[in-house]
Amino acid sequence: CKKFLDVNENPNNPDSAAPNLLLPASQAAIGQVVGNAFQVYGNIWGQYWTQNPTSSQYRTIDQYNPAATAFDRPWLVLYRNALINADLIIKSNAPNLEYTKGIAYLMKAYAFQVTTDAFGDVPVKEALQGNAFPAPKYDAQSVVYDSIFNYIDRGMALVSGSSPLSPGAQDILFQGNMDNWKAFANTLKLKAYLRLAYVDAGKAEAGIKALYATKPTFLTIDASIKYLSTGGNENPLHNEMIALSRTQNIVASSTAVGAFDANNDPRVAKFYDLLPTSVENKTERSILQGTYNGNTGKTVSPPSPLVGGRANNSASATAPVKFISAAESYFLQAEAVARGWTNGTGAVATLYAQGIQASFTATGAGDATTYIATAPAGAAALVGNTEAQIKAIITQKYFAMCGFQGFEAWTEWRRTGYPTFFVQSAASTIGAGRMPLRMAYPSTEATSNASFPGSVPVYTPVWWDKKHQ
Amino acid sequence: QDRTITGTVTGKDDGQPLPGVTVVIKGTRVGTQTGSNGKYSLSVPSGPATLEFSYLGYASQSITVTTTNVINVSLASDLRDLAEVVVTANSIKRDRRSLGYAAPTISSDVLVQGGSPSPLTALVGRVAGMNISSSSNTPGSSTRIVFRGGSSIAGNNQALIVIDGVPVDNSSVTGGADSRSSVDFGNRANDIDPDDIESITPLLGPAAAALYGSRASNGAVQITTKSGKKGKTQVTFNTSNIFSSVLKLPDFQNEYGQGYYTELDDNGNPTEYFNDTQENWSWGAPFTGEMQEWGQSIDGVRQSKPYSAATNNVKNFFKTGFATDNNLNFSGGTDKSTFYLALNTLNSNGIFPGKQDVYNKYGVRFNGKTDFSDKFSAGVSFNYNKIDARQIAGGQNDNSVFDNVLQTPRDIHVDQLGDLTNKYNGFGYTDANGVVHNDKYGYYGSYTLNPYYIIENFVNDDVINRVTGNVNLEYKPVSWLNIQERIGTDTYAERRRQLTPKFSFSPIDKNTNQGNHISNGGYQIDQFNVTELVHDLMVTATHSFNEDFKGSLMVGNNIRQRNTSTNRTATNASAGLVVPDWYNLQNSNGPLNVITDNISKRRLVGLYADLNLSYKNMLFLEGTARNDWSSTLPVKNNSFFYPSVSGSFVFSELIAPNKILSYGKLRASVAKVGNDTDPYQLLNTFARGTINGNFGSTIFPFGNVAALQAGTTLGNANLKPEITTAYEVGTELSFLDNRLGVDFTYYQNKSKNQILAIPIPNSSGYGFSVINAGEVQNKGIELSLKGTPIRTQDVNVELFGTFYKNTNKVVDLAPGVDQIVLGGVGGMSIVAAKGRPYGEFYAVTNQTDAQGRTIVDAESGLPLATTSAQYLGSYNPKYQASFGTSITIKQHLNVNVLFDVKHGNKLYSRTKDILAFVGVSAETGGQRSGLPFPNSVYLDDNGNSVVNTNVFYNKQDYYPDLNPGMNVIDGSFVKMRSAGISYSFNKAQLKTLPFSTLSVGLFGNNLFVWTAKENKYVDPEVNSGGATNEQGFDFTAQPSVRNYGFNVKVTF
Repeated sequence: CKKFLDVNENPNNPDSAAPNLLLPASQAAIGQVVGNAFQVYGNIWGQYWTQNPTSSQYRTIDQYNPAATAFDRPWLVLYRNALINADLIIKSNAPNLEYTKGIAYLMKAYAFQVTTDAFGDVPVKEALQGNAFPAPKYDAQSVVYDSIFNYIDRGMALVSGSSPLSPGAQDILFQGNMDNWKAFANTLKLKAYLRLAYVDAGKAEAGIKALYATKPTFLTIDASIKYLSTGGNENPLHNEMIALSRTQNIVASSTAVGAFDANNDPRVAKFYDLLPTSVENKTERSILQGTYNGNTGKTVSPPSPLVGGRANNSASATAPVKFISAAESYFLQAEAVARGWTNGTGAVATLYAQGIQASFTATGAGDATTYIATAPAGAAALVGNTEAQIKAIITQKYFAMCGFQGFEAWTEWRRTGYPTFFVQSAASTIGAGRMPLRMAYPSTEATSNASFPGSVPVYTPVWWDKKHQ
Repeated sequence: QDRTITGTVTGKDDGQPLPGVTVVIKGTRVGTQTGSNGKYSLSVPSGPATLEFSYLGYASQSITVTTTNVINVSLASDLRDLAEVVVTANSIKRDRRSLGYAAPTISSDVLVQGGSPSPLTALVGRVAGMNISSSSNTPGSSTRIVFRGGSSIAGNNQALIVIDGVPVDNSSVTGGADSRSSVDFGNRANDIDPDDIESITPLLGPAAAALYGSRASNGAVQITTKSGKKGKTQVTFNTSNIFSSVLKLPDFQNEYGQGYYTELDDNGNPTEYFNDTQENWSWGAPFTGEMQEWGQSIDGVRQSKPYSAATNNVKNFFKTGFATDNNLNFSGGTDKSTFYLALNTLNSNGIFPGKQDVYNKYGVRFNGKTDFSDKFSAGVSFNYNKIDARQIAGGQNDNSVFDNVLQTPRDIHVDQLGDLTNKYNGFGYTDANGVVHNDKYGYYGSYTLNPYYIIENFVNDDVINRVTGNVNLEYKPVSWLNIQERIGTDTYAERRRQLTPKFSFSPIDKNTNQGNHISNGGYQIDQFNVTELVHDLMVTATHSFNEDFKGSLMVGNNIRQRNTSTNRTATNASAGLVVPDWYNLQNSNGPLNVITDNISKRRLVGLYADLNLSYKNMLFLEGTARNDWSSTLPVKNNSFFYPSVSGSFVFSELIAPNKILSYGKLRASVAKVGNDTDPYQLLNTFARGTINGNFGSTIFPFGNVAALQAGTTLGNANLKPEITTAYEVGTELSFLDNRLGVDFTYYQNKSKNQILAIPIPNSSGYGFSVINAGEVQNKGIELSLKGTPIRTQDVNVELFGTFYKNTNKVVDLAPGVDQIVLGGVGGMSIVAAKGRPYGEFYAVTNQTDAQGRTIVDAESGLPLATTSAQYLGSYNPKYQASFGTSITIKQHLNVNVLFDVKHGNKLYSRTKDILAFVGVSAETGGQRSGLPFPNSVYLDDNGNSVVNTNVFYNKQDYYPDLNPGMNVIDGSFVKMRSAGISYSFNKAQLKTLPFSTLSVGLFGNNLFVWTAKENKYVDPEVNSGGATNEQGFDFTAQPSVRNYGFNVKVTF
């Protein structure tokens, strides 16, 4: 009888998984969040894009009034795909996985930073432990950042060491290139410390100085996932558009387009699709942020396939999702130098120009020399005191991130207040003067986590945001 | 001195000899049975004697022996008497009076009265205690059957379906991606042909069904199929020809047409409208009746029509459906053997235009039994069905015909757009020069597809091959011992094909901003295989301790195994097809989308015992006990034991025969039932890397890179079986010489320790955790009344009614879990919430004040939304009732009608929502601006309600974006469930014809519905969730139909 009943072994799903098989799932999950849901929120709240008047999918984003369930999916993907799989790699007992575990630590650090930058206080210490903590407590954002630094250090130690086994192609960011991962770890650490520059300058300064004391390498190439035209492997935003019957929901916002135009920036034609000549007219290309109601029937420039934003152009499928871009790396270094936190390493103007050039290269806009020399936001802006220089650096970083890194651009605007030309969306429902400063906790946590701390409105700043208190 | 009495027993109705009639000398055990020719011969001692003639289904007769040696008897049929023998669990026949639980029986003639091809739908209104939801009521559509409220939070709540003692599969897998794009492929219990059914006994409570074990914790539907009768072979042909039409369509406004307002004056009244000709909106200008151009300009020409309401455009879109249901059967037997052989066909073409909604079912049944000797007999039962169907999708996607029809502006005659070769209607276009443009469309709509195009091009096929049957061996070595072995099987293969066309159409008219219609296309195959094997060995010993005190003990062994395989594979989810119109997985544009590839096996071994004691045919006691061992539970917890006790007391035996009380019985039972779970719930597992966004997904392999990821649900290696405890008391009373019958039951069920996958915070790294938790309670009463106010030789008028009230409460879920989602859509969930009835709607809705008035914004005049989701009532009715009558005149003419009622159930109607969105429902008509929201208030600075008479709203600003709770409406209804009139000719009338009987009839089912006042939209029984726990869910579900037709039945 015992044997007869012994038929409950699952033939459909494995009950164990090799860590090198979990790694790309973790990476692709971050790509899905940063490259799709947060890409849309970031690019709209970062005022590169706005809702197309002829469609309606993202109206609530321009209204700063996301549905209670709007962040259920990104939160799920972060915790249940990106973080848990990284965590299972780290906890694995399998031998010779130093490199894979190192990458997993860095993915965990990156994903937690995205999570906390979006939502503020989030579960870390009691997170990812299944039934051991069925109601994970929320940790203060400062504590989350401490964990992030800890994960980066552990990751750095592992990717800098030696291991007989490389994850190779299973690493879909760098294909197992550990030099790139070391640069990634350093750049991520710089990025994380700079995020604390206004809330805890002492800690940021000490951390960055300590980092520079190690003679760090920084990224000179994009840390990105390069998507494919194969169905299911496309750029996540474009894949989402296909699933939405290729409706073009996002179009150019006058906030960003106006700033590009004021500098006669050639990149504007790369970030957005120009309209056919019959209606080409610069004032017609974009609409003011959130004015879908007043522009019924008007045709507006959509984002270009280069950034994955064109519903009807299959070239969008191969747009990369950038975790950290080369341009961003230079601008982070430039800010660190401008703040005097690099033990004298590096020159602001050089790094600033390298950042702009990296962006021009990435968009295929060619040589940036003329632009840097002539644009009001170019070299001319990099003058004055530290804060003025940082304004120039972050504004240029904003231009570089258009379409590619919407979430990070909006996050840096929250941190620094730059660029200064944001307007309130015409569709805002949250009251005069208020801007979206965080993402709302997902309804799934509110209904299933006994430790849920309560909802926080989108106009409440997160802990490191000292510019919008 | 003995003498020999001989004679022939015939049936009163047809004069045919009755074989197998029991003839006994009253007061003795001496007796015999009639032979195949109806003749008997019995040796009777001298002296006064009375012969008793009894036969199942006929009124018994006693005849005093006189001098004559020939006694011929003609027995009248009596269905009430038939019901005295009840087929109970494990197909054991029992005397009704001995049962300690409710077990009403529905006989074959009642089942087929309404002409419903679904045996489950035919039960509606017949018995108290059942909640049957019949969805669209078309052949092959879903029917859900729940007894006494249903007690499982997340698992199956439907009664077990048992045919001839063998449980059969009743799967219901909704077609389409989910209930939002559902294709109703029905549920498998409806495969059986009602014509083949002898009787159905709902075993309502766990006590009745205890012998079936864990699967019957929700009760069981015991179906007994027809068997042959000894005697001359009879050939019966029965044909039903059924017409169908839509039962209920929404009420529409007929005042405004295509478009929307673009300008408002200072008072909020529209001053300008835009007649946007690509629109699905009817928020345009009031009708003028003037000729107006519409649609695209093709070859420089636009069509014109009056700008006025196309009042019946939706109604006329649907056609009259037709189905023909034929059953030919042969039955008969010899002294030793009987057989029943039936062939049946059901061919239906439904209400959608064209031949794309068809349902064809073919069946063969053979039931045979042979007595090899006095001690040994064997029977076999075999049924084969083939179903070949094509169904049309509901829901909200491109493939939903009804959704696209409903979004037609009120001035457009959608019913006249069926000619797809007409360049204004179609997709693909031949220009004036004869050049074909396969990438252009001429149809007016940007947001809708031509529903005729959908019908032609979006296909959902379904083919099922199914065999059910059993072999039954019976051995009686001595008179007090019976050994029975039964092996049954149910095996089927179902293959569905879903075709989605690939197209990319831009408007022919270049001078509009009309949108494109683009689809990557797709092809999906769903393959389901289910095989169930059931074995039962039952050994029964009977013993009479003395004249009054008798008993029997049965011990049995049950083994069952269920194997399933599900394989759902489609072309690439994102990129679809390479070549249009080639529907083959080889045509996938990129890697195949393996949606499900799953096999499962589960086994269960049970041992059971059933002890029956009776005293003086008056007091009865039954005890059952069962222990199961299940493969799906952890080894240490896989054995579970559960007993039941029931008793009945026929107290009328103590009362002298009188005219008032003819029969009276009290009954009571207590039962426990254990339950296991699905296979593979014990361990955590991993799955292929698939990162789902809100709509799109990153799916591995990524290029050549493979990935696994942590699974969604945490397994549990410590699961315990679920336990349901049920109490029941009842009475059966019969008054005035059986002219008034009452059957009353009170019951209480409690289901604890349910095996649930409860939601846990995603921050734990997982979504669900399998645990034992929760408790659901059901309490209720069931009342059936039956009266015969007129009972004469010529006229028999029978009235009957039922009342059923169940109070359901989710007493407890897991610690920290307040509710579990059973279904729904974004913004509206159907939940099991702690402290509330099961199946509660949960959604954000309009704010109201304490007096129920809508609170509006003081500036805009628009209703304010509640800040959080609200509980809005359950889909379960507060009570159900039915009322019917059957009038028989001169045993030839029968007229019957049945009404049923469900009251207090709620319904979510997306039909309402989409009609409000596009501005075509009646509620969007009338004055559209310059008036305050009905019965509204706004709040002053102190938060007090101020009656709103002066802040006006505009309907176009309100209805297109209703709070989801506003679509939860009262689902109460009264239906004329069935009606019929039939005439039977008897042998005497048919002298010159080759028939022995002939009956003709007119019938109808689902004939009329009266809904609650706020439901101006749908038949509340339509459902997008099939037979699942997602009920009361009209997600633009297919409209239900009324059926009516005629029936001819002849016997040769």
